[in-house]
Amino acid sequence: MIIALPDGSRKEMAVENARIQDLLRDLGINPVEVIVAKNGRIVPEEEMAGCGDEIKVVRIVHGG
Amino acid sequence: MLTDAEKSRYSRQIRLFGEEGQEKLKETAVFIAGAGGLGSIVSIYMAAAGFGRIRIVDCDRVELSNLNRQVLHWSDDVGRNKVESALETLRGINPEIEVEALVETIAKDSIDRLLEGSDLIMDAMDNFPTRYLLNQAALRRGLPLFHGAISGLQGQAATIVPGRSACLKCIFPRAPPATTFPAFGATCGVIGSIQVTEAMKYVLGRGQLLQNRLLLWDGLSASMDEVVCERNPGCEACHEY
Ligand SMILES: [Zn+2]
Repeated sequence: MIIALPDGSRKEMAVENARIQDLLRDLGINPVEVIVAKNGRIVPEEEMAGCGDEIKVVRIVHGG
Repeated sequence: MLTDAEKSRYSRQIRLFGEEGQEKLKETAVFIAGAGGLGSIVSIYMAAAGFGRIRIVDCDRVELSNLNRQVLHWSDDVGRNKVESALETLRGINPEIEVEALVETIAKDSIDRLLEGSDLIMDAMDNFPTRYLLNQAALRRGLPLFHGAISGLQGQAATIVPGRSACLKCIFPRAPPATTFPAFGATCGVIGSIQVTEAMKYVLGRGQLLQNRLLLWDGLSASMDEVVCERNPGCEACHEY
């Protein structure tokens, strides 16, 4: 599984099947600060992700 | 109808969308929530483009630390109400349009009164709780909401059309923590310009709106990306609309 992180870096993770919230925890990312897209679509953090999936973690910005 | 002065002022836009397009902008009443970094870009471009009625709302005063990005306000404006200097700048840019500038806090009990008579809502806020109020009011009144937000060199934008697209709460089910965000004026320029372009397209019925899509700008890598978002049938904000 490929994970694109908010800082622009990409990480390959050898994960069979994982819940996105667990992935975030393993990466040390606070789920409140981000939304996650799986294969280009925003999904809830309860969603499962498998080895062929591309995950993008987007840091929510709130300023104006 | 456009006056001769208006035809001349907007001649480059009339080449783009005709006099009837320009007339549609003239008939449009815009609500701009916030006269900060995004609100500066949004209001300046909307005023210059000839959106006929602009109501801009902010409760703050101009501070020195605002001036790196809030181009509505100039050095002499420090200490004044933001909407006061906004009114002056916008009138200077385009005296043909009506500008209303209100020192008000956008809150649950004021939002419906503030939105009275507006056709569309420009999100130029700096926090999610107020954005959720705008989202709920947009849904209730069936008005489009043009979302934008920035931090540092990153920004995001989306267009919310009640009944037709994901709402703000479908995209962002919970507010990110409130922090003092870094801000660079040109990032406001990128995102605010996208919001205004979206509003123009909505009014004129042109192109593909940013609905069900969240656009992401990263200035550091100079790249735009987008993620697809869908209406959440269980969304607490929009399930009944
Ligand atoms: Zn919703």
